[in-house]
Amino acid sequence: MSKKFIVCLLIFVLALGLVACGQTEKPAADDAATESKADAPAARVGDVNGDGKIVVGYISKNLTDPFHAPINSYAETTLEQMKKDGVIDSWTGILDGETDPNKQIDRADECITKSADYVIILPAEAEASDPAVTKLVDAGIKVIVVNSKTVSTDEKAIAYCGSNDVEAGRMLANWVLENVPNGGKYVHCTGVLGNSAQLERGQGIKEIMDKHPEFEMVGEPDTQWSGDKCANATTDAIAQYGSELVAIIADNDDMSSAAQRAANDAGRSDIICIGVDGNQNPLQMVKNGELGATVLQDGVGQLTAGIEVIKASIEGREFDKEPVIPFVLVTSENVGQYLD
Amino acid sequence: MIENIKISRKNNDALKRFMGNYGIGVVLIIMMVAIGIMEPSFATKNNFINVAAQVSINGMIAYGMCLAITTGGIDLSVGAQLALTSCVLGQTITNMNMNIWLSCLIALAVSTAFGCLNGILIAKFNMFPFVVTLSTQLVIRGLSQVISSGKAISLTSMEFKGIYSNKLLSIPVPIVMLFVVTIVMYLLLHWTVFGRYIFAVGGNVNAAIASGVSEFKTKVGVYTVSGLLAGVAAIIFTAKTGSAQSNIGIGYETDAVAACVLGGTSFAGGIATIPGVLMGIFIIGFIYNGMNLIGVSSYYQSIVKGCVIIGAVLLDMLMNKKNQ
Amino acid sequence: MVSNENEYVLVCKDISKAFGGTQALKSVQLKIKPGEVHALMGENGAGKSTLMKIVIGLYKQDSGSMTFEGKPYQAKGPVDAIKAGIAMIHQELNPEPHLSIADNIFLKREDTVCGIFLNKKKQNDRANEILRQFSFPYESTTLIKELTLAQVQMIEIIKAVSSDARLIIMDEPTSSLDSEETAHLFRVINDLKSKGVAIIYISHRMNEIFEICDQVSVFRDGMYIGSKPIADVSRHDLIEMMVGRKVENVFPKIDCEIGDVVFEARGLTGKGFSNINFKVRAGEILGISGLVGSGRSETMRAIFGLDSYESGKIFLNGKEIRIKSPADAIAKGICMVNEDRKNFGLCLLRSLRENISLPNLPKHQPHLLIDQAREKRECEDVAKKLTVKAASIEHTAYSLSGGNQQKVVISKWIMANPKLLILDEPTRGVDVGAKAEIHALMCQFAAKGMAVIMISSELPEVMSMSDRILVYHEGRIGGEILRSEILSESVTEKDILAKAFGGVSG
Repeated sequence: MSKKFIVCLLIFVLALGLVACGQTEKPAADDAATESKADAPAARVGDVNGDGKIVVGYISKNLTDPFHAPINSYAETTLEQMKKDGVIDSWTGILDGETDPNKQIDRADECITKSADYVIILPAEAEASDPAVTKLVDAGIKVIVVNSKTVSTDEKAIAYCGSNDVEAGRMLANWVLENVPNGGKYVHCTGVLGNSAQLERGQGIKEIMDKHPEFEMVGEPDTQWSGDKCANATTDAIAQYGSELVAIIADNDDMSSAAQRAANDAGRSDIICIGVDGNQNPLQMVKNGELGATVLQDGVGQLTAGIEVIKASIEGREFDKEPVIPFVLVTSENVGQYLD
Repeated sequence: MIENIKISRKNNDALKRFMGNYGIGVVLIIMMVAIGIMEPSFATKNNFINVAAQVSINGMIAYGMCLAITTGGIDLSVGAQLALTSCVLGQTITNMNMNIWLSCLIALAVSTAFGCLNGILIAKFNMFPFVVTLSTQLVIRGLSQVISSGKAISLTSMEFKGIYSNKLLSIPVPIVMLFVVTIVMYLLLHWTVFGRYIFAVGGNVNAAIASGVSEFKTKVGVYTVSGLLAGVAAIIFTAKTGSAQSNIGIGYETDAVAACVLGGTSFAGGIATIPGVLMGIFIIGFIYNGMNLIGVSSYYQSIVKGCVIIGAVLLDMLMNKKNQ
Repeated sequence: MVSNENEYVLVCKDISKAFGGTQALKSVQLKIKPGEVHALMGENGAGKSTLMKIVIGLYKQDSGSMTFEGKPYQAKGPVDAIKAGIAMIHQELNPEPHLSIADNIFLKREDTVCGIFLNKKKQNDRANEILRQFSFPYESTTLIKELTLAQVQMIEIIKAVSSDARLIIMDEPTSSLDSEETAHLFRVINDLKSKGVAIIYISHRMNEIFEICDQVSVFRDGMYIGSKPIADVSRHDLIEMMVGRKVENVFPKIDCEIGDVVFEARGLTGKGFSNINFKVRAGEILGISGLVGSGRSETMRAIFGLDSYESGKIFLNGKEIRIKSPADAIAKGICMVNEDRKNFGLCLLRSLRENISLPNLPKHQPHLLIDQAREKRECEDVAKKLTVKAASIEHTAYSLSGGNQQKVVISKWIMANPKLLILDEPTRGVDVGAKAEIHALMCQFAAKGMAVIMISSELPEVMSMSDRILVYHEGRIGGEILRSEILSESVTEKDILAKAFGGVSG
């Protein structure tokens, strides 16, 4: 009996301990809140729900992708700084969307419970994450959609800060055209099927490549954003098509860098591999000359634009409802400015 | 004097049995009180309604999982079942313009059929449930990709979305569904002959057979129910997200297993209670919800979740030792 | 007094042990001399097993001390005990089936090169040498799973002796052996004895105690009752010491009126038995004797539908029936108490109520939902009638002693109200008191007009309980003996054994 209770107790001490870790920030936040309340006028522009506090919610897409890691940590430092500066009273912390629209909708519930005024969301899915956006907007919250759109973003959100994935797809295809003027066989390694990024980038690639009959797509393996799977697909394709294989186009650069590494290891550094995102590992490879180029999606830039929207809204300024953050082709020439 | 001792021991026995079955309820209450103190917005009616609606999906899956675990097996195909059912809904409602209730029936029939297939493979050929459902999971997800060609199908029907967002007597529909399924599952497991057979097959399959229980019927029944419930979960999921796609439900079996284990379902088979699983479901829900409201960094949340589950399994083992 | 202690190999002094609120041992004593076969007797739950588990270090006593070969002794676990020179051969043997004999003998003390690699060759040679000493008819590379239960037990004994054990504890060593194997075991024990190895022998079988043991210590309710040389006590004395009351007749057979034929098997043939013909009548107890593996259990399993039979017919109340599964058999009124209680009898972790009602649910609970109140009432009634000793029928089956578990198994079949009740080794591992109660119950069932078949390896049990005895020999019925022949002593144990071995009585 006693042992049982000890176990019970242990679990909860542990759980509470960790909970308390997160809690330590809390009193400071309250202080800041009371402070700013004292010197702020009765109703501020940014206090959307009129409870005297400005609360910002942040629903991430996930905590695991290398592309999202710098965005999340930028969000953490920037929003913490805004809290310290008294621009906002508190924020929810990074809520984990687990790349799952269902979970993102649940996180939206929590933002509502915390009476947030603004919520930044990086949707996992165009269609399925949309209820999170509509739910927040229906609760009177101003929503800023970052990175990719949901279906009702144009209609409901106060702003969308992202890049044009179709354009990224075109950039990928053009890079291949430039580097392999004679054409040949190529493989397109896809992201998780159905993701809007996968669909739109694929569309851009197809748009360009369809005009060039000298190129033949010999495979479109479902590599699910995974570098490992893409590397396997690459070695398979090399074995199958040998010297006819000239390029691997991947929907992200975790995959393209893994593909390039596999090709290099197989003595086929002539194969052109390219993908989108600009993660640290591919950038490093570009710098070392192992990878020709990568297309950088400026995630931090997108989020910065989103936070600017919030700042402008709080101050009552005008803001661009749809700032487009351009993709950047990173080669050995400009890699220095993007590598940490 | 002797009488007194006897009575107190009897009470102690009853308490022990109660703690063995529902000790996790105490854990749940402590947890709710602790989070409520730290974050007042937690203990609001709206938040509880939110959580109850949120856990309805995992709840359905967990009940099916609980039956499978109780017979000494596991159903790893539930996540894929979610995807397939969702895609069937998308195809029938959006692309074929079918009546939504008819298409719900078709979708449920599909998931039930695959559950039944799991059961037949497991019971007829005496294959390991882990291996069977691991494989059918691939088949089912593959099928859902074939049906949807990997694309998300938008479900715009407000009537269908209403399955998640409508209210019945001011209670959201998914909560009503969870409530109804809980009652049905409670009766099924604890008040029917089928439920007894589940416990018997899980507790000691040889003794069950020697007592005239059909192992085949029981196991097929269990996996069929699991498939059906995964289908119900998929309907709620699809109504909630308004989109049918093949990449959903990945990893959902983990939360379902966790809820079962927290609820005292023994992996050795033969021991489970539906109220226990319900509490497990809510504990998982409150872990997510509570930690987000308190502001625990998401980076630590899965550590906490893992620790809570390990703790619960330890508890389960200790109690089993006690019962022996 | 002190010098006296030195003549003992093991001395346990004032050992007490409590589990939760129950005092399992109350200041008990035990003194074992070298080269002595010392019987431990007592009903199940008397504390014998607990004491032995303390000796080999599975439990730690609350108070009291032990000396082994004159030195203070306290084992931290079985491995520790083996190192000191004490080995225990458990009631349920479970050596790894896929290991070879040699691997098993040297388990936990493997011959290694550099402490990592097994020296297989040397190990096998040494094992062969040891096996030959015991004239064991297999090579050391044989896998354990290829051996019979008796041979596995032999391996366990060889393992104990080869690890230089000076004290071997045997817990119910003959419970799964037939007469011939038992005789072989006894020869080994005598051999060990002559080498000065002491043996603690736990058994419920009175005959064996008188045959093989020198000294007997009796326990009752966690207390030490006394220790006597076997030559100075009679069976009656021992039983009285164990149960603390006078037992008039261990096997009180009541003769009942024998009615019509209930069950008949004609030319039944299957795996392990062929051309079996017999009839059982209402009110009759049909005893079945024979060696383990002679096809007696196999026949009954086939009749009950647990195994299938190849040819032959079975009739119930004159009508031919076909049984494909136990469910069929139960529905038709044939029930069977399996010899393997743990695997085929009970769901140990479920309550007595659920265990008792399990086979009876389809008949007793026709509605969608189970009428729990009715179920509880019916189960309580039958449990009470069968004198199951449990605080409540909501307790798990695990919490009961072997005898009470057996009564629960019988309860569930009695509730089914069968026409034919088959009992396979109904009193194995059951203490004396419960054994007599189970025998009395069998007579009651017969008196109600049930046909009863009882398989037993214990000849005295078969002889005293049966109206008629069938003796199996190598898958066939080797002989039939009537009660009148036993009562008139024209047939003796020796004759039955002779039939079982297939020889002519002589």
